[in-house]
Amino acid sequence: MAEATEKGFRLLTRGLIKDNPTFRMVLGICSTLAVSNRMTNSLAMSLGTTFVIVSSSLSVSLLRNYIPKRVRMAVYTVIIATFVVCVDLYLKAFYPLISKQIGPYVGLIITNCIIMGRCESFASGNKPGPSILDGLGVGMGYSFSLILISAIREPLGFGTMMGYQVLGSWWTPWILMVMPPGAFLVLGLYIWVLRTIYPEKK
Amino acid sequence: MKGLIRKSLDLCYGWLEKSPLKPLKPLLNAADGFFFRGAEVTEAAPHLRDGINLKRMFIFVVFAAMPSALAGIYLFGWRALWVILISYVVGLGLEVVFAAVRKEEISEGAFVTCILFPLTLPPNIPLWMVGVGIFMGILFGKEVFGGTGHNIFNPALVSRIFLYICFPAVMTGNWIRPMEGWGGFIKYSGDLLSGETLISASLPQAGDAVTAATPLTDFKATGELAPLWDLFWGNVSGSLGETSAILILLGGLFLIITRIADWRIPLSYIGSFVIFAFIFHGINPEKFAPVGFQLLSGGLLFGAFFMATDPVSGPFTKGGRWFFGIICGLLTVLIRGVSGYAEGVMFAILFMNIFSSLIDELVLSYRYKEFRR
Repeated sequence: MAEATEKGFRLLTRGLIKDNPTFRMVLGICSTLAVSNRMTNSLAMSLGTTFVIVSSSLSVSLLRNYIPKRVRMAVYTVIIATFVVCVDLYLKAFYPLISKQIGPYVGLIITNCIIMGRCESFASGNKPGPSILDGLGVGMGYSFSLILISAIREPLGFGTMMGYQVLGSWWTPWILMVMPPGAFLVLGLYIWVLRTIYPEKK
Repeated sequence: MKGLIRKSLDLCYGWLEKSPLKPLKPLLNAADGFFFRGAEVTEAAPHLRDGINLKRMFIFVVFAAMPSALAGIYLFGWRALWVILISYVVGLGLEVVFAAVRKEEISEGAFVTCILFPLTLPPNIPLWMVGVGIFMGILFGKEVFGGTGHNIFNPALVSRIFLYICFPAVMTGNWIRPMEGWGGFIKYSGDLLSGETLISASLPQAGDAVTAATPLTDFKATGELAPLWDLFWGNVSGSLGETSAILILLGGLFLIITRIADWRIPLSYIGSFVIFAFIFHGINPEKFAPVGFQLLSGGLLFGAFFMATDPVSGPFTKGGRWFFGIICGLLTVLIRGVSGYAEGVMFAILFMNIFSSLIDELVLSYRYKEFRR
């Protein structure tokens, strides 16, 4: 039992740093660049994406023995799209403001290769339990990186944090940080730092 | 005198070996190189072919930029000196840190970047912005690629474009008229403190200087043309080192005579610029200013002589250099005339920097077909 718990724990945590989807595998960059300029957008996006990863991993894992190999990608896409529509409608109904701000990027969760990657490489060959843990771990890793990036971009770009003014009126906003290229710089710095602390094993 | 310097340097070497400050050895090596050492073999461009070494080469560029820098002080006040000084302190500081961490020599490329960058700035830019700009430019324009010789873009222009996009209000809408009479050698325009407490909402207002648009912005807004004579001598508003055409030409010719800069790039750049500006002015004189005015205003001459000739970020084949200059000229004319920006030199050069190795590749594969299997 202890061994199983440990294994589950490892599945859950490896997405955070060691196999972080954004910083390590450099997947899902498009949405990372687009929405990470405000912390609230980042949080909404990471919750939505994590939900989609976990539920599609679970569904794919449950259906793994019934999905024909040749059309598996198409089936995954349908499953993922279903959950993305759920997230999109939910945001539109309850958080119209956030929905408006991150607009098309919610729909584009479908194309986030992190999700497809988890379905293809893990959920399609594992039982539902580990698949949920794996999806949750990777989702947390994605959220973690989004939060880290917007923790730099929002104060520099707007002088705010979660919409509250944190830097005084003396602060001149860095417009570059609001735009996607600013995310490139911040993302690059994080990748640099992480690779220096945890060098890749050859 | 020479022996004394040698002796004290040796003393420092011996002392440094034992002390905990050993990582600072590159600093001492750089000092040594200024006085004594010759060139070592380079691995990446700029390659050297004669006795002149990388250090001297870069120091010559600094010499060549001196007239423009002095003109900046004369026209816009002592504050220009602070701008240059801050650029040097931050830029060289970053360079020393990277050299110490990488255990490499300090490269003199930073000396050039740190003088060229402030010369492209508006005279009353807040001083902290200068520091931020040079920091970001050297870090992201040069060091992350591996230091001097490995950068894709001209680091001075990366610094400038960073500020240009981050703080457009300060970088484009904020110019002062040059000083009258004895000029800036006896005046300090703009307050040092006000530069630090500024916010974008209230733009810096320099002490006794009068705000004025640059000739190019003027043309874009009203179609008014500044007199050519003023443009030639530099008595117009603009960036610190960019207004005086004659002094830029002086420095540029110095670079070409000492063969630090290849004459092909400035010639093809300015030549193609003149031709295209002439053609487009003929087609649509409302959008495209006359040739003479365009040639002497804005950063064209400065860019052509000091920025486009960077041996690292430009192409190294002769044919490639011609091509590079020609397209730079065309792009500059088009950006100035058609886009929303008043000035296009920076964009044109950075844009062509992307393609410089591709251009080299094409030239080599065309010229040396048989050698390349």
